[in-house]
Amino acid sequence: MPNLWKAGDAYIWISGLALMVTLVMIGGLLFLIATKGLGSMWPADIGRYELRDGSAYLGQLRARESVRGGDGVSGSEFRVKLKIGNRDIYGLDFKWINEGDVKSRDYPRDAVVLERHEWGDYHGYLKEIRKNGQVIPGTDPEAFSVLLGLIRDANRIHERILKIEKGEIGDINYGIEKQRLKLKGLAVRGEHNPAKEAEYRLKIKEYEGRYKTSEAKLEALYAELNRNEAVMLSAGGNEKTIPLGKIVMAHRPNSMGFVEKAGFYVKRFWGFVSDDPREANTEGGIFPAIFGTVLMVLIMSIVVMPFGIVAALYLREYARQGVMVRIVRICVNNLAGVPSIVFGVFGVGFFLYGIGGIIDSVFFKEALPSPTFGTGGILWASLTLALLTVPVVIVATEEGLAAVPRNIREGSLALGATKFETTWKVVIPSALPAILTGLILAVARATGEVAPLMITGVVKLAPDLPIDGHFPFLHLERKFMHLGFHIYDLGFQSPNAEAAKPMVFMTAFLLILIVVVLNITAIVIRNRLRKKYATSAV
Amino acid sequence: MKYLSVKSSFALFAIVCALTFGQVAGAQTVKVDPDIPSYTKVTGVSGNIDSVGSDTMNNLMTFWCEGFAKFYPNVKCQIEGKGSSTAPPALIAGTSQFGPMSRMMKSKEVDAFEKVAGYKPTAVPTSIDALAVYVNKDNPTKCMSIKQVDAIFSKNRKCGGGSDINTWGAAGLGGDWAGKPISVYGRNSASGTYGYFKKKALCKGDYKDTVKEQPGSSAVVQGITEDLQGVGYSGIGYKTSGVKAIELAKSAEKGCFGPSLKNVVGGKYPLGRYLFLYVNKKPNETLDPLRLEFLKYILSKQGQKIVIKDGYLPLPAAKVSELRVLVGAK
Repeated sequence: MPNLWKAGDAYIWISGLALMVTLVMIGGLLFLIATKGLGSMWPADIGRYELRDGSAYLGQLRARESVRGGDGVSGSEFRVKLKIGNRDIYGLDFKWINEGDVKSRDYPRDAVVLERHEWGDYHGYLKEIRKNGQVIPGTDPEAFSVLLGLIRDANRIHERILKIEKGEIGDINYGIEKQRLKLKGLAVRGEHNPAKEAEYRLKIKEYEGRYKTSEAKLEALYAELNRNEAVMLSAGGNEKTIPLGKIVMAHRPNSMGFVEKAGFYVKRFWGFVSDDPREANTEGGIFPAIFGTVLMVLIMSIVVMPFGIVAALYLREYARQGVMVRIVRICVNNLAGVPSIVFGVFGVGFFLYGIGGIIDSVFFKEALPSPTFGTGGILWASLTLALLTVPVVIVATEEGLAAVPRNIREGSLALGATKFETTWKVVIPSALPAILTGLILAVARATGEVAPLMITGVVKLAPDLPIDGHFPFLHLERKFMHLGFHIYDLGFQSPNAEAAKPMVFMTAFLLILIVVVLNITAIVIRNRLRKKYATSAV
Repeated sequence: MKYLSVKSSFALFAIVCALTFGQVAGAQTVKVDPDIPSYTKVTGVSGNIDSVGSDTMNNLMTFWCEGFAKFYPNVKCQIEGKGSSTAPPALIAGTSQFGPMSRMMKSKEVDAFEKVAGYKPTAVPTSIDALAVYVNKDNPTKCMSIKQVDAIFSKNRKCGGGSDINTWGAAGLGGDWAGKPISVYGRNSASGTYGYFKKKALCKGDYKDTVKEQPGSSAVVQGITEDLQGVGYSGIGYKTSGVKAIELAKSAEKGCFGPSLKNVVGGKYPLGRYLFLYVNKKPNETLDPLRLEFLKYILSKQGQKIVIKDGYLPLPAAKVSELRVLVGAK
């Protein structure tokens, strides 16, 4: 036994064990998030539950637990939690049913799930389709495929509506707002210039005329959208007429095979990744949040890299190593340990109210009192995160610089290069892999931060992306959505906590995925650089 | 109830049944008052809607914005909801145009606003919320009086309760529940719900230190869903299938009433309140078109329908027409 300790085998075992525990924990976490999130999008079979009191529900099984007695101890009877949908009829999407109360349960092949633009899913049967005044009964074997075709048409119209709303009308509104600000600017500066004023007003009139034509187009499209209707019957026999324009997707889970389901799953997943959120974020997709997260990290990287590298270069290459530099170094290290919310508070006070306020009072006077830069925005959030992560980059870069062998520098100097040339052409390229390591760490930390963002520019809903087709294309003052905050919002603020729960896990899964993708990109670049500068010791 | 005849107690039973069914069906039978005008589109509305304030109204604001944006495709909405107390500072600083609040502004907040603006902010009631006391779905409690609620949540029982209640036995449950401790959930102090509940259910007393303060209304409901012995308060809009909203009685004699529209409007349910939208409106001046139209939209059939969608209660027509005059909509 004593030999085992002396030889050091035991330590190897212990560290192996520790590694295993870590891996199991990471794997477990990913597994939990993936199953809870990814699993929820699978088109589960839909059961018809007939209860002893005569009521009936069409629902998807979501949970099963044993009924707790009065003492809270689980009994032998079970109850199930069903997603019954039809929020406009039942009030809640979910319902607990004691299995003892269920008289019969079957899986009708013609049960339909409609994903709607409003009020969540609808579960029921297709009674008839009203297409151009012509009625197709639900018993017609072709009825469902007709319905699918019509929904596809409606979705196409939807896309055209969106295009007009975001494109044409967006341009018009943007133009009007600009002219209006110009008018207001004249008033603010106290300039009296009737010619200019008339010009601006004329332009606004022009835009308004264009708006009228776009609006007429929209109205025609909306009328077309709501022309066809589906008449549905719920499990309880309630009839409901739903215009096809209000339906996103329809499927009959009970009559779908595995392959069909998988196809539907992919479609749904793509919708989640690429769509805008609906219904106070509890439905639809999370595209603006993904976009906001990635853009914020990119802006942060662009800011943090030069600052971090220059600081590290100065500390390592130029500054005289002494007490002062050591103090600075300690400070930088400590900065890395400051809680992120403290940076957030600093960001609010310094960037938003300080710099933002000055920018507004100088450049955006005509828009006041509504602030342009004096409020949270993607620029301020990115800068706050840059401050938060700059110590990481400095420390990593310094390590990299320290590891560049002395003989390489001396070789360069001996060939007649100046100190700057040596640093720029020899030292930095050799240290690049280490610098990128710093960036990877910084990105990983920044992507996961939520607290400082909440007060510097992240909001619950901002479907307008910070990048669009209007000059100057990148709108740094805009507020944005962020995946981390989205998780918090869905988890703790959602009006429909049960429906939002799977989305919490999906969003968490995507957040991890994005961190992984960003990191892998950086790692691939780093490995290439390593090969290129093979002398590097790092 | 001993002296009631068999017949009358049957009648009482029928009434109770009707009430309970009314409540069960409550969420779906609530309808917008047909006298409320429908919203019609006007031209020349564009710009940003910035809203900072109540967490309770966060989703409501989001729904309204989504609906409003359907009329005016490029109106942009930015909504922040971290508690009613964050609304006045943002309105004062001009960083928001709307301050949703789940309570009235305190006089201190009004003063601070007046000092900067020179006039008082305008409060527009937008909808009605019933603050519900939730218990776990397996909890057999049906009804509590305000005194009991106070004794559960408060350490100094200003509403006049005799003794502290910290087990379900003391709250009136028998059997196995009698010995179970009550686990209490609440909101953080930035929340208007926190302030309103303190004022109305605690008679301005102090919360117990054991109240688990949650960062959002939905978090309270989720806590109680997982905690068999939990009790907490949140807006009725946050109800899920995992919890039960119990009936409340103003006093033991007055009888129990659930958080339905009828009971709230009739003043029978003790924890009904308005949800406000505060705006910075100069007296005798009309609002800019964006803000005016948004308020008109909220005070319309479509806007009030959204109130129901989010689980809250719509305003009666008389109140709406009074408010439309207040905000300057003809």
